[in-house]
Amino acid sequence: MRVTVDRDRCEGHAQCVAVAPDVYDLDAGYVAVVRNGPEIPEHLRPLAALGADVCPVMAILVED
Amino acid sequence: MAELPVLEEDLFSDDAIADPFPLYRRLRDLGPVVHLQTQGFPAVGRFADVRSVLGDASTFVSGQGVLWNDVANELTRGTTLASDPPEHAQLRKLVASRLTPRSLGVLRDEVDRKGRAVVDAALEAGEVDAVPAIAEAMPLSVVPDFLGFPEECRPHLLRWARGGVEAGAPVSARSPQAVEAAVELGQYAGHLVATRGIAEGTLGHDVLDALDAGVIDEQRCTALMLDYFGPSLETTLSAIGNAIALFTDHPDQWDLLRSDPEGLMASAFNEVVRLETPFRAFTRVASRDTEIDGVPVAVGTRIGVLFSSANRDERRWDDPDAFDIARRNSDHVGLGYGEHACAGQGLAKLEFAAVMGELARRVERFEPAGERVLTVSGLVRSYSSLPVRLVPARS
Repeated sequence: MRVTVDRDRCEGHAQCVAVAPDVYDLDAGYVAVVRNGPEIPEHLRPLAALGADVCPVMAILVED
Repeated sequence: MAELPVLEEDLFSDDAIADPFPLYRRLRDLGPVVHLQTQGFPAVGRFADVRSVLGDASTFVSGQGVLWNDVANELTRGTTLASDPPEHAQLRKLVASRLTPRSLGVLRDEVDRKGRAVVDAALEAGEVDAVPAIAEAMPLSVVPDFLGFPEECRPHLLRWARGGVEAGAPVSARSPQAVEAAVELGQYAGHLVATRGIAEGTLGHDVLDALDAGVIDEQRCTALMLDYFGPSLETTLSAIGNAIALFTDHPDQWDLLRSDPEGLMASAFNEVVRLETPFRAFTRVASRDTEIDGVPVAVGTRIGVLFSSANRDERRWDDPDAFDIARRNSDHVGLGYGEHACAGQGLAKLEFAAVMGELARRVERFEPAGERVLTVSGLVRSYSSLPVRLVPARS
């Protein structure tokens, strides 16, 4: 599965990092990044989806 | 349009404002889309529907205004609030870049220091009205400097902010006074733009720079100046006041926060904003024939989007009326969601964490010290008086 962050849209609210620190992190510029992404293991799907769900500005895309 | 279930009661009557939650529940149970008899247009109140409407900014547009009456929708033309993609993203970047957590990092120490000063004064008094002493004092010590507004206007700011927000509510007996204050605020903003009376290195000055660079015209400049002002005081002071009221009533939750202020502050903020949502509701307009949860909605229909109802929807939340700062609550819609999600949420959280964190370290509990007064306001849920005694922690 593929998880991407729209870097233009991300404002650094860090909600994804709060709920799914195993999947998301903030880079030095306060933009969310996918750890070892964009392709991540299937077992992280629920966490990745949760992170996307809580993003207040809808900057995260989870695809098959 | 198909026959919709009808809510006959007015969600914005004084009684409903005092305790809107049973009405919201009835609205949710009536169906996904319910006609509001008093307002004459439908609204959504279930969590999933509120999220899906807010999440689809091209179908449910903001460009015809997001407020609850025609005058306010006319007056807010040109604001970020009332704009649509792709213009919205440009405006938001222009004025909100200082509000993103990345830019706010440098402010943290200063905001923390102001939080300490507010708590120092409150603790010295011992017994305070927490609204002026804490809830208002915190944003008032941060926001005007952040916007670059001059000293002379500060005595008027709260009245202007309140009027500015209330002017967007459905028309009521409260409207004339609110509109008067909103007009004063608009004139003052126009004066600030005309005289360039705004401190450099501030959000307000960024807007002036955009005017000078020809990115926006003067009318839009004034509109943008107001965009971030009204909401920045009213909503933050509401959240801080509501938090103190909730923690007074739930000392176990205060103990929990005190056990780990750093770790629990984010979910405590979310829980306060979920349960006692500061800003009740906006509207959108359908830009095409569409449907919400299977219910047809015709192009041009204005739709109320009830954040505070969604935040207590039993379809989403277990025990929705319970105050539980440890629950999973990051997806609440108290700050909106999607394109138009609250642009100032980073600053609001910084202010909240500064003052509540300092209280958590230094106050063992809050005791009620007199009668609370809820503000009667169409759109903002807050207290106008909240007398409490601060019991200092033994150090």
